[in-house]
Amino acid sequence: MQNIWDYILNITAGTAFIILIIYFLIRLTPSPPVGEMEAARKTLSVAGKEKADIYSKKLYSEAKVLYDSAMINWRSENKKFIFSRNYDKVVKYAEKSLKKASEASDSSKSNTINLKTKAKLKIETLIDIDNDIKSLFTHYPLPAETRNRISKGEFLLREAEIAYKKGEYMLADRKITDSEYLLTSSYETAYSNLRSYFRSYPEWKRWIEKTIAESRDSTGYSIIVDKFSHKVFVYLNGTRKYVYSAELGKNWPGDKRIKGDKVTPEGMYKITKKFKSDSTKYYKALLLNYPNDEDTAKFMSDIARGRLPKSARIGDMIEIHGNGGKGADWTEGCIALTDREMDSIFRIVKVGTPVTIVGSMYDFKHIINQYLF
Amino acid sequence: MKNKVLLGLVAIVMVAVLVSCGKVPQTEIDATNAAIAAAQAAEANVYVPGEFTALQDKMNAINAAVEEQKGKMFKKYTTVKEDLASTLALANQVAANAGVKKDEVKKQAETALNDIKTVIAENVKLIPKLPRGKEGAAVIEAMKADVATVDATVAEAQSLFDKGSFMDALNKINAAKTKAGELNTEMKEVLTKARIKF
Repeated sequence: MQNIWDYILNITAGTAFIILIIYFLIRLTPSPPVGEMEAARKTLSVAGKEKADIYSKKLYSEAKVLYDSAMINWRSENKKFIFSRNYDKVVKYAEKSLKKASEASDSSKSNTINLKTKAKLKIETLIDIDNDIKSLFTHYPLPAETRNRISKGEFLLREAEIAYKKGEYMLADRKITDSEYLLTSSYETAYSNLRSYFRSYPEWKRWIEKTIAESRDSTGYSIIVDKFSHKVFVYLNGTRKYVYSAELGKNWPGDKRIKGDKVTPEGMYKITKKFKSDSTKYYKALLLNYPNDEDTAKFMSDIARGRLPKSARIGDMIEIHGNGGKGADWTEGCIALTDREMDSIFRIVKVGTPVTIVGSMYDFKHIINQYLF
Repeated sequence: MKNKVLLGLVAIVMVAVLVSCGKVPQTEIDATNAAIAAAQAAEANVYVPGEFTALQDKMNAINAAVEEQKGKMFKKYTTVKEDLASTLALANQVAANAGVKKDEVKKQAETALNDIKTVIAENVKLIPKLPRGKEGAAVIEAMKADVATVDATVAEAQSLFDKGSFMDALNKINAAKTKAGELNTEMKEVLTKARIKF
């Protein structure tokens, strides 16, 4: 009986001893940084959802590196003997990672809002610039290179709009930057080109006043061709009576210099001959006295000063003729009207009727206000 | 005395068994990592980015759970093993979803490419039909510049498509598609105005 009690006692003591050992082993084991790591990981995940990898790249990368360092250290500590493990470094890295991830998250949120606002504004501005280009230069001949740049710029703007709608603001921003460069530089080049063309306005204005005065004084008809607006104005007794739409030479801006340059000349001319349908291939035609004395003198001076090659020839046969209405500038330098308008003008004008061709009836400021505002 | 020694030995063996009973499920971890890598290779990060991020988050949590168990006196990987099994299944699902989405985008890009090529081919046929002498007209110059830009973009899209970047190709084509259509309408308007059949 005594032996049984001894045995029970031994078993109880042994079990208690084992439990005690286990308890102390657990107590002495350093506790893993589970909470810190979980907090860091969750914050990093939230930052990822806030697209911090795109909109706050640096902070997010730093947070990730710190988290990875924490993991590496954790693994390294776990390889050590259980009681000699120290997770301080792991905790430090995890806390740093959490801080950076939180910063990345906040920064990503504000960067996204800023970028979105900026992209929206820029897209609107670029649409305005593109509309200005279309308003001013759709019918204005620009060098092929400028046209290509405008086209590429418009295309990039379209891509930027698509990216913006998809919420890809960083991509939209990149497209906007490229589009802005192309559209702005093309617009500036074209604008400065147009402004320099309008430097001749004071002379055009003088011609216009003289032509209207002539109509008033003679109580007859006078014609003014406004190349920029592609309009032909017919005056009677100094008052505007008719307006027609005109198509011009494909390189219409500037003054005609040589034969074949496809420029519609600028100056004060008169009708020298009227061609009926059987005498012209352009339905009906009114021949002008181009080149006049002034044109010839200028051409000779250009040859003498070497501005034109000696082989250059002065143009001729500039007419107001029919076959117009094609919706583009296609003549060799003549002014084309629709056949119906040609009938109308043909009836009222006669040989000797003044025809003044100018770049524009209005000054540059007026044109800009008219087309852009 | 003999009993006490025996009891001591039993206690030591029990502690040793308890301490070392959990073994890291390395095979499962490797298999899951391989499945995640396969999902990435299937471009899950491009075609199903949300699902792929969730998958990565899950794996990161498992890695932490493994280290947590490693740090314990009495390791238990049952939950980790369950999580690994579900993550492996998820990785396979994400890879499959990416494949489906990729095929979908590929088909969309292919259709869009064919559609735009048809419009471009028509545009190319329309250009010479434009009224004689119109080559230098500002409007036609602008149209030609636009046609060239659309062409270049479609070539870029085709190259991206050939490389397997279907999403990038589709984004490019979408931008070109509207422009090509607008040009087509614009040219047809010019031809109609000039009473030329097309």
